[in-house]
Amino acid sequence: MNTTVVGSRVLREDAWGKVFGQTKFPADVNLPDQIYGVVVRSPYPHARVREISITQAMEMPGVVAVLSAKDVPHNSHGVLFRDQPVLADYIRMVGDPVAVVGAETLEIARAAAKLVQVDYELMPAVFDPEEAMLPEVLPLHPELCPTNILYHMPIRRGAMDKGWALADVVIEQDYRTQHIDHAFLQPEALLAYVDERGHMVVQTATQYAHYDRGEIAHALGLRFSQVQVKTLAVGGAFGGREDISLQIIAALMALKTLRPVKMENTREESFYSHSKRHPMRMHYKTGASKDGKLVAMEAKIIGDAGAYASWSINVLRKSAVHATGPYEIPNVSIDSYAVFTNNPFSGAMRGFGAAQTVLAYESQMDLLAKELKISPLEIRLRNHFRVGSTTATGQVLTSSVPLDQCLAKIAPYLQKGEDT
Amino acid sequence: MKKRGIGIGCAWYGTGYGNGFPDVSSAFVEIHDDGSATVLTGAVDVGQGSNSIYAQIAAEELGLESQDICVYSADTDVTPDSGTTAATRQTYNTGNAVLKAVRQAKSRLLDYAAREFSCPTIEGIELKAGYIGIKGDPSRRMPLADMVFKARLHGQRLISAESSTARSTPVDLETGQGAPYWPYAFGSQMAEVEVDTETGMVSVLKVVAVHDVGKAINPTQVEAQIAGGVAQGLGYALLEELELQEGRIKNPALSSYLIPTALDVPNIEAFFVEEAEETGPFGAKGLGEPAMLPTVAAVINAIDDAVGVRITSLPATPEKILHALAVKKEELAKK
Repeated sequence: MNTTVVGSRVLREDAWGKVFGQTKFPADVNLPDQIYGVVVRSPYPHARVREISITQAMEMPGVVAVLSAKDVPHNSHGVLFRDQPVLADYIRMVGDPVAVVGAETLEIARAAAKLVQVDYELMPAVFDPEEAMLPEVLPLHPELCPTNILYHMPIRRGAMDKGWALADVVIEQDYRTQHIDHAFLQPEALLAYVDERGHMVVQTATQYAHYDRGEIAHALGLRFSQVQVKTLAVGGAFGGREDISLQIIAALMALKTLRPVKMENTREESFYSHSKRHPMRMHYKTGASKDGKLVAMEAKIIGDAGAYASWSINVLRKSAVHATGPYEIPNVSIDSYAVFTNNPFSGAMRGFGAAQTVLAYESQMDLLAKELKISPLEIRLRNHFRVGSTTATGQVLTSSVPLDQCLAKIAPYLQKGEDT
Repeated sequence: MKKRGIGIGCAWYGTGYGNGFPDVSSAFVEIHDDGSATVLTGAVDVGQGSNSIYAQIAAEELGLESQDICVYSADTDVTPDSGTTAATRQTYNTGNAVLKAVRQAKSRLLDYAAREFSCPTIEGIELKAGYIGIKGDPSRRMPLADMVFKARLHGQRLISAESSTARSTPVDLETGQGAPYWPYAFGSQMAEVEVDTETGMVSVLKVVAVHDVGKAINPTQVEAQIAGGVAQGLGYALLEELELQEGRIKNPALSSYLIPTALDVPNIEAFFVEEAEETGPFGAKGLGEPAMLPTVAAVINAIDDAVGVRITSLPATPEKILHALAVKKEELAKK
């Protein structure tokens, strides 16, 4: 297709503002008369809140309000299920927000947050996803599922016995990936206020303003038409700004005090206010015939969902669907699981479950190539998807599968320098 | 000793929400008296440059320049819902919605222009380089602005609202069979590393990344997206790990939770392959997430190529590499 503007190296409109420091990020916007919000977070991974005493904090000059679970009209939010409290009275992870302090200055708010006394009743916690799967372990979300197994996705294709019979070489191996943080450069920040129309306005950095609006409206009992979420410049997101972080807490404080509320996370607070990439344990068994063709694959994938559901079902589904890699394998058996634990909750992060499996399936390819005495490039050339290929879910790839072109372009670069 | 190795990684990625979940983007468009236009969409530009992509798509369709288009996004009082900026879906999904909306607003202009030019079908009208005129007859054209002005003076309003929905179906709950995503994006990367056998340190010397984008709407942004993905992939492969103790984060700071800095990122050669995705805007599909996927595999496979050890848990820290080298030495000694 002949195009002129599409396909050209147009300069981004936002480039100059960013280069010259004129771009407004949520940390840069303020209103006269604003107060500052600071969140009190649980230091325990699993507990009930028996009592919160705010007397001492409220006595501090400059403190405007201290709010907790009882002050939230509808105390829940969540992308798939509303299983996450705005302000928790039942703690499922370290960092769960328990209270929010509003004060005239940030310094006062931080000092007062230390004076909020929370009486916790500690409960046994589980941190190992395989242990959490055991039926005798206390379920963290009995209202969602009777055990901690939030989700299981099986994929069955072909016949495994037939597949293994065809295999001349079999590689069986365990792989593990770690918890990681999005580490976007701009920690969560926002400004929330009730404007002259009586509407709740939240200016923030998010990945989905319309979702935020719905969750704020739900939690505070407002109409969608009374809530405006305006996205300012976003300093990186990578999936870490999909769940609600401070949006509802700040809006709640603004609604209760009728003062503009400014909140900005420190880096440490940021680590506790958004999701993590799912750590995964992956057991892989892959077989190939002498001619270097993949014939069978079995995989078991366990993803640590942490304390809340977030996107875990979709993430582990994506892991299963992509578990073979971009290769045709006629006989496949895959089981992926998302499991609740008392670790920080896992959610969306660039790659979304399809990032972890790359470690496993591409390592298997190199190990098979070594056994078969063919090159890593060669084994990929013999198995990769092309137009007309069928995936493990039985989907036929009808067009636009140019992996052959990608590999052709990579091939000349497969040379290394000398050891020193 | 410093030993060199190379590794390949390939990856695929089903873009969009998938599994039959309604994956819908919307856009509002208005073409103004002077021939410029405004696009309103809920899609958040998270820094990846989606607003620029929509400006290019709208400009292309209207025969304008990118700077003739105002894209305003992600303000719920003004813009329609365009779904999350996630799932590698905004160039494809919202790009499609913008294109549909522009075409709808444009169709009214074409109707009006066809009558003005005494052309019995809008098929005979084209918008090009700021002009609207008869296809094949360069003598019969006028500035787009003049035609829009005339049309508006006669009561025409060149506004539109459109939505675009990606295709996918839920998979079977027992067999996982189905067509859960469309389109899929592919990519392949190679990494060259140098492993210090004394310290276990891995230096990544070079990454070559080739990604399937359908159509590169903005090649500079494609290259930037790939570079960012590779950098993030290197962090995942070699550096980043949240250290937890009973659910508590032991390293909640960028001084102890290490992400790649400019000094850790090697020379990256970014290439793209253009094989049009017929359902995408001008053939485009998304690149956001795929860009970081193959890096981990390329690095881990390169480490094995360099020193003959297979790291099976991320990140591949110097400790893990030294341990694997020691185990390997022991095994060799036994033989």
